[in-house]
Amino acid sequence: MKLEKVMRNVYLTDGMLVTKSRYGSHYGEKVFDGFREWIPWRSKLAAMILKGYTIDFKGEEKVLYLGAASGTTLSHLADIIDEGFIYAVEYAAKPFEKLLELVRERNNIIPLLFDASKPWKYSGIVEKVDFIYQDIAQKNQVDILERNTEFFLKKGGEILIMVKARSIDSTVEPEEVFDNVLKKIKSRFKVMKHGNLEPYHKDHLFVHAKLF
Amino acid sequence: MKYNLWFGIYEDGRVDKSSNLEESFLNAENEEPLPFSISEVGIEVFGGKTGYYASLRKVALAVAERLVERELRKEDRYVVALVKALEEVEEAINMLNEKLEDIRTVKDTEIAADFENKIEELKNLRKKIEREIEEIMTKIAPNLTEIAGAKVAAKLLERAGSMERFVKLPASKIQVIGAEKSLYKAFARMKRGKKAKIPKHGIIFLHPFIRTLPKSKRGKMARFLAAKIAIAAKIDYFRGEVDESLYESLRKRYEELRRK
Repeated sequence: MKLEKVMRNVYLTDGMLVTKSRYGSHYGEKVFDGFREWIPWRSKLAAMILKGYTIDFKGEEKVLYLGAASGTTLSHLADIIDEGFIYAVEYAAKPFEKLLELVRERNNIIPLLFDASKPWKYSGIVEKVDFIYQDIAQKNQVDILERNTEFFLKKGGEILIMVKARSIDSTVEPEEVFDNVLKKIKSRFKVMKHGNLEPYHKDHLFVHAKLF
Repeated sequence: MKYNLWFGIYEDGRVDKSSNLEESFLNAENEEPLPFSISEVGIEVFGGKTGYYASLRKVALAVAERLVERELRKEDRYVVALVKALEEVEEAINMLNEKLEDIRTVKDTEIAADFENKIEELKNLRKKIEREIEEIMTKIAPNLTEIAGAKVAAKLLERAGSMERFVKLPASKIQVIGAEKSLYKAFARMKRGKKAKIPKHGIIFLHPFIRTLPKSKRGKMARFLAAKIAIAAKIDYFRGEVDESLYESLRKRYEELRRK
């Protein structure tokens, strides 16, 4: 098996993205010899990485994950941040049930069943973090990110946001939505990279930025 | 300034540690971002990094499990909505079938065939809804579903409105849910001093254990079944464990009545 290192604990083998993991399958992905397949159609972060964009994780970061859903992407992020901690916020109980399976088998995930648009509710739980990852398809998702940044992001900390054009405004062209989002983010962050997630996810934009 | 932390109250550089961590976890609300590092304070309180994060994870998990459990009880509202939808779909199928027959008796045309396709589609939808109801009922009320069957259980739940209200119903009420009209008619007759027939069963008549018995024994069976349904619902709602003895006693009673 030929492995090509992409970033910390992330490899490419035969065009397939995998994370180094000692855990079993969480969402139906293949598992082999200590690796778990990372399916780009299921995870926007996987799609971004497969498109050649990487994030330079050290593995000991504190991460705040907004919109963790059932833990598909979270499971791989937990493989990468294997010496750090991830605060996983999700408001819907049903997917959270599945996410809790993940929490039980690993010890680097703190589950938070809270509304991400109200960060003050968990302000006495989450510490200052190095990284905020956000994937919540909501109209005001940039505001939600900013509110959480205010409460929890360290100076010089980074954000990665997945934007779904249709959930922000379905009446205008995605490009227009993306321009507005970028403008908003640029007022508080230094944008490091951004791009779309075609062909894996249609009309999606990712933005990786750093807090001034 | 006082700050609410998941492990206690922080004031003037000192921590008053909470005696109930799950409670303080849910009250860890502050209007403004904390002006100090919660993990640094916490690591001191818990005597080390490992202890701090292990406790945090444990408390967060316990709270999450409790909240999820409570939240998922809302699934009963979903079942109620599905049962209502199912009844509409069933009515539509029956009505369309009638109209189809009307058309067919006059002339068998392309429109009749289209009609038939649409009815087929609705039947598939019906099956889908039924399966979903069964799946959720088994999850939220396994004992009740085992005893009453998914269909009867869901219909009873729909009439009650929610599990919370269902568990408050006495067995005598459960026995006649769905037969309110004849029940109140009987009550009215009794008031006037006349002889009245009080219904023996409502929705639970759909249960095979009642339907398949001779008329004279259905009343006894209905009373027994309603009593067991009331118990099963309470176990599901308050205890959440499966009790196999319930179904066994029900089957025994059925055999008994059938042989007599």
